Order: sequence, then C-alpha cells, then structure tokens
Amino acid sequence: MDVRNNRRDSTGASVITANRLLDGRIVWLAAQGWSELITHARVFDNAEIEDAIKQARAMPEARTVVGIYGVQLDPDVAGLTPLTVRERIRAFGPSVHPDFAPVETSDVH
Amino acid sequence: MPLLENGQITPDRWHVAMDGEPLPEGAVIVPLERLEEGLARTGDAPLGVAIAPDVDVAVLRTALPRLELVAVTFPIFRDGRAFTQARALREHLGFKGEIRATGKPLPDQYEFLLRCGVTTVQTERAEDISVWRQAHEIITIAYQPSTLHERPQGLGLRRFLG
Amino acid sequence: MSTDTTTLPVGRYAYDQVDRTFLSQRVAQFREQVARRVAGDLSEDEFKPLRLMNGLYLQLHAYMLRVAVPYGMMGSDQMRALAHIARTYDRDYGHFTTRQNVQFNWIRLEDTPDILEHLAGVDMHAIQTSGNCIRNVTCDEFAGAAADELLDPRIHAEILRQWSTLHPEFTFLPRKFKIAISGSPHDRVAARFHDIGLVARPGPQGRPVFDVFVGGGLGRTPIIGVKLRDTLPEEDLVAYLEAIVRVYNAYGRRDNMYKARIKILVQALGVEAFREKVDAEFALMNRADYRLDPAIVDGIRARFGIPPLNAPADAEQTLAASRKADPAFDRWVRTNTHPHRHEGFICAVISVKPDGGIPGDITADQMDLVADLADSHSFGEIRVTHMQNVVLGHVRKDQLHDLWRKLAAANLATPNIGLVGDIIACPGLDYCALANARSIPIAQKLSARFANPELQERIGPLNINISGCINACGHHHAGHIGILGVDKRGQEFFQLTLGGSAGGDVAIGQIIGPALPEDETVDAIARLIDTYLVLRHDNEQFLDTYRRLGAASFKDAVYAPA
Repeated sequence: MDVRNNRRDSTGASVITANRLLDGRIVWLAAQGWSELITHARVFDNAEIEDAIKQARAMPEARTVVGIYGVQLDPDVAGLTPLTVRERIRAFGPSVHPDFAPVETSDVH
Repeated sequence: MPLLENGQITPDRWHVAMDGEPLPEGAVIVPLERLEEGLARTGDAPLGVAIAPDVDVAVLRTALPRLELVAVTFPIFRDGRAFTQARALREHLGFKGEIRATGKPLPDQYEFLLRCGVTTVQTERAEDISVWRQAHEIITIAYQPSTLHERPQGLGLRRFLG
Repeated sequence: MSTDTTTLPVGRYAYDQVDRTFLSQRVAQFREQVARRVAGDLSEDEFKPLRLMNGLYLQLHAYMLRVAVPYGMMGSDQMRALAHIARTYDRDYGHFTTRQNVQFNWIRLEDTPDILEHLAGVDMHAIQTSGNCIRNVTCDEFAGAAADELLDPRIHAEILRQWSTLHPEFTFLPRKFKIAISGSPHDRVAARFHDIGLVARPGPQGRPVFDVFVGGGLGRTPIIGVKLRDTLPEEDLVAYLEAIVRVYNAYGRRDNMYKARIKILVQALGVEAFREKVDAEFALMNRADYRLDPAIVDGIRARFGIPPLNAPADAEQTLAASRKADPAFDRWVRTNTHPHRHEGFICAVISVKPDGGIPGDITADQMDLVADLADSHSFGEIRVTHMQNVVLGHVRKDQLHDLWRKLAAANLATPNIGLVGDIIACPGLDYCALANARSIPIAQKLSARFANPELQERIGPLNINISGCINACGHHHAGHIGILGVDKRGQEFFQLTLGGSAGGDVAIGQIIGPALPEDETVDAIARLIDTYLVLRHDNEQFLDTYRRLGAASFKDAVYAPA
C-alpha cells in the first residue's frame, strides 16, 4: 500500500475507504456496507479511527474489498471532502474528466 | 503441503537437521554451515544441504559428488533467486541429484521450478495438490530453452512442454 | 501455415497455431487465478504479481489494463479490437504509453479474463506488461521504414520478446526489466535509458552485430547506460542477454525496491566487475542451447509480412504539388512526416496531442478511423510511438494529402510532432495511484497556450516531458524541459529540469530550482521559452541554446523574472 495512505493528523475527522475487489471502484465505509459515494461515508473522530479501521478489516465484508485505510477530511469545507488532492481525486473522479465522477451504480457487488 | 514430485504426493525420506542438535541417522538435510559436519559422518546415509537465496552454488562444487539433495528456498515467492541457483546447479555443476524447493513458492511457479531443474517441492502453504498439478499442465508451450532440454518445436526457440 | 509474405500481417510477427494455443492457455490460466482470488484461495499479496504479469494494475479509480503492443507494431484488426474493448469494457477511449503499449483505465477484474480472451482472438495479450519481469521490448517508430536505418530491428525484437515470455528463471526478478533495440545510427529508442539497450548494425557474413548498453534508466536515480559489449555477434545475442539477466537475478538487490534495478547493481559493482560476472556466466553456460542460428532468425523473419512498395513514378511530384496548393497540408508534412527508404513513400505521424487535449488519449471512434486509414494507406500496419503518437509507416506520397484530410477531420492532424505541443505526459494523479501530482492539466494548459502552429515552428524542436512522480513514466529526465510532480504536505508542486535528451546526445536534465506551485508552473515554462527565443543565435534549437548558455539565464527567468 502507498505510504501516503492512512496518513492523518492526531485531531480532526476521517472516513474509511478501499477499492472493490471485483471492479476496482473506490468505495467508502458507510452505515451499512460500502458505498461508491463519499457523501454516504461514516465519519470517525481521529481518536477512534484506528480501531474503526481494524474493525473494518476484520468484518466478513472486508473480503469484497482491497486496501482498507483511513482518509483525513478537510474541516474547512462543507460536505465530506478529503484533505489531500489525491484523496479528493479518488472521491470525486479525475479532474480532467468531470463526466467520470463517481455515481452510485445499481449493480453493486 | 506434503512433498510434491511430478505432480504427486511423495513420501519424504529426508530429515532436516535441527539447530543445536546432533545430526540424526539416515537421510539428513543440513544447513550450509553444517556441511562439513555432514560430510564427516561415517556410513553412506544420504546427505543433503539447504542453501539460502544469496549463496553462490559454486561453493558446493567439491562437496557435490557426495550430495544427493540440494534444497533451495523462497523466503517469499517474489524472491526468484532460487530459480537461478537450481539452474546453475544443473547447468554449471552438472548436479544430477534432487533439487528441492522449500519456503513459500506459489503453485503458479511450479512449471518454472521444474524447468529450472527443481525436482521436489515442499512448501509451507496449505494447498490442494490439484492446484499444483493444474499449474504444471495448463501451458504446453515454452518459448526458450531450459535445463530440461525439451523437444524443439521448430520455429524460433520454442519447446514442447512434456 | 502460409509463408507467402504478401498475406502475412505487415510489419509484425504472424502468430501460428502454436502461438494461439499458448495464448488461449494463458487466458485459461488467468481465468483460473481470478477464480481462486475471488474464492479467497489466493490472498491479494499472492494474486498481485500474477495479475501484474497479465498487465492488470489496481489504480486510483479502478483496475487499469496495459495491453502489450510488441515493439509498437499492430495491425488494423488489432486496433479495432482495442476499440471494441474501449466501448464494451471501458469508457470509449484508450491511452498510448511511453513504452509503446496501450492502457485502459476503467477495467473490472471480473471482466478481465473475457477481455484477454477477446484480445487473444486477434493475437494480442497483456503478458508481462507489468511485474518484476522482462517487459515490452521497444523499437523506434520508424523501424523497417526509415531512410537512415541500417537494419530492421523488429525481427530481433520479436526473438527477444519470445525468449523473455514466461522465462522460467526471469519471472521473479528483483524488479522490472526493460529492453530497447535500435537499427538506426540515430537512436530513436533512448537505448541508453534502458536496462539493456541494443544498437544493431550489419556485420560480417551478412549477419548483424550488436552494441550492448546496460544499466540505464530514469526514475529515482537517472543513469545513462554504459557500453557492456561491443559488436556482439548475432548468434550470441540470446546467450549474452541470458547471462546479463542471470547475474541480475542473482545479485540485484531485493531489500529495497527503490534500489533494485540493474542500474544500481552496475553502479555498485562498477562496470568492469559487472562485465566480469557476465563474462564468467557467458563462459560457463551451455552456449549451444542458446545459440541464435541464422536459420532460427530467418524462420522468424519469414513470419513478418513485407509491404509491396509500389508507387507511381510521379508520386513525389504529386506530393509537391499538393503541398504548394495547400499551406496547412504543407505545414503538416514539414512537421509530421519522416523520410522513407523508398522514394515513393513516406512515414506519417498521427498526432495524438490535440491542442488542449490529453496526451496519448484516443477515442474508440478515432481508433476505428486509424484502423481504416491503415488499411487504405499503409497495408494495415500501425505503429505506436513511445512519444504517445501513432505512425503509419508506409504511405504513398501521392496519397498523403488524402490521408491528411481524413486525419484532420478527426482532430488527429495537429502539426506538432517534436514541437512544444507534442507533450509527453504520464497519466499522473488523475489516474495513477503512484502519482504525487496531476500531469495532464499542465499538459493541457501548455498545449493550449502554445497552440499556434506558426509559433510552434518558430520555437522549433522542444520536448516537454511531464511525470506525476519520481517513477518518471513521463521520462521527464530526458526532456529538454522536464516537469516532475512532487507532493508537499498533500499539495501539488512541480519541479523543473532542463537540458535532458534521449537521442544520440543523451543527457539527464538538471534541476533548476525549488518546486513551484501548480498555478505558477505554466507561466514559468512560458518564460523559459520566451527567454530562449530572445537569447538564441541563428537557428539554434532550445537544447542548443541551453547548452551554450547554461542554466543561469533560464533560472532567472523562472525565479527572478524582471
């Protein structure tokens, strides 16, 4: 896994992300299962995030995803937005192709 | 997984020398640092040596006529040095005995192991033997020579895999 | 099996039934590996090298599939298959890479066995386009056509491709291994920036000889390769390369992936000691097993289709007249063609660098058009260049104008080859999990800023290379102007290098100062180019002016503009 994954401050909030095994799409840990939209992601205080990641990795559903890690949120932006450029691109799609922004697909595996 | 040879489970007559204990009777595989001790044994029980991936097989040259087995190892499957060691044993040193692959090779590497001169596999992975057998049988053409001197197909350097 | 070279595919090796059997077995093998992964019998750690060796990366948004285009050559049927893949399994486009391959960015793991099966139907695959193994052997884009070529390197590229395919000893190397081969005295393959670079020329008894360079590369530690062997006879080519890679497999570092390429080993041992090890292996090996008999070479050569090069006697005059009548066409001929060894023919470069566009990206519709144009104008033969463009290698001069008009209608005729608009850029942070910064937006902005064709010609040859991270897939070290994306506290910054070159005068670009934020980078580059235009003498090209003056004036232009 890239060294930049799972990088976060001691304060603030984070969400949990991964890639889906079967199609490689970015997913975010939601209230139930994994969602393709960051807007559905469960927010964790950074004090709890390590445990939350451990739990996520131990769940049976973890077998359907690859590379679970935490993503720091930008506190200054309304709505759930990652802090770094890299994670924003993962969340909102390639900046050079706005038409490729993630949408929830109906055939979730 | 138990010992694999030619896609079959095979009984293993070899014992591995234990650290800090005297060498047992019978067929024993010693680590390289105990090779002299193994060679000094009386009797004609078979002797094997286990080498780490960074060992130059040339160091075995003098002992080789008295060795029936050399074990090469994959500490992780990505460490491909054992392929070169096995091949060098066959090609440079003319070793005719058993070459055993140990550690953690994947079934998907089985054909490569065999073509580099490995004869038996003893892996720490728990694996169905059928996966290894299938890996061996699934591809029937090779595009380069190997230590097995397979039959040339006719075009380029292609070989039929038996 | 037909041996009539007029029915074999032009410019590349024709598969026979044995090759096709192998490919279908390989697809079945991968299908089974995917099944084991999905069932949980293979961990991700174990599956990863297996899928990489079928070209499948897990990237930022999805899986990315890198399809092999052996030595950059493909046929129109293959291009149509790529269009089909783009439409059926991806988002209607593909991307040409700096190693002559094709990438699809939106692939699903579960579709990949079917994709590989479809590709196998046109003799294509993704074997060893990733992983710690020997990768695509690259040639220059005018191989077998260029006027200055001494011999066609594609035959030996194919021999090396086959030899390295599922090589039992070299599939788990310390790191990736890249080979390039040139048949021209003008090195268009950047041979000295490869793990092994081969320069071929005619030798005694009508067989070629090879100069062997080793240990070149870009990335974290850019190094120019050293000459290991002079005038290697053809019959020893496979044996000698076997010896080099054996030494690398045994002694290359495995403790640190950033120090694992052969260039690090050659530097650590020194070239003399490295050569001794290779020569020792060469002396010990069963050389007879690896001897490249002329009959073997000729057998492979016989599987390459040869284009029937017949042109009307007045083809050149027809072209000249068209040029005179059409200034836009004339400009395009100046910038986007290359001399062919046959006087009635010419090589045409299809620019995949439209103004303001994404370098190397091609739509499925454009792929189909290129396939059709290859059929009508170049014997069905298509070349992918490592500058992310496409070449039709054998175009009749009297048909060139017709080709151009059709390309222009599809936005594939931008007259910018080798000029500032012909930017080389990796996919960068928009797509790549390894990247630190986005490379494409900078490329688009520069391309739009310098779109004017007169300005581009006035500036002259200028290679801008953009890499989104130190892995240097954009080959920024080799750019006249190189741009490297770096990560500063999660934000994108760009470091500039100057004076790199991949040609015969090979050089590594020099860093000229601290990295710049994204919004300053494009302006800084514009100031660099302005500085050159002001300071150049006569017809100096950018690289000449830089070499004459050194970095100082250019540094000031970037960091202390007046």
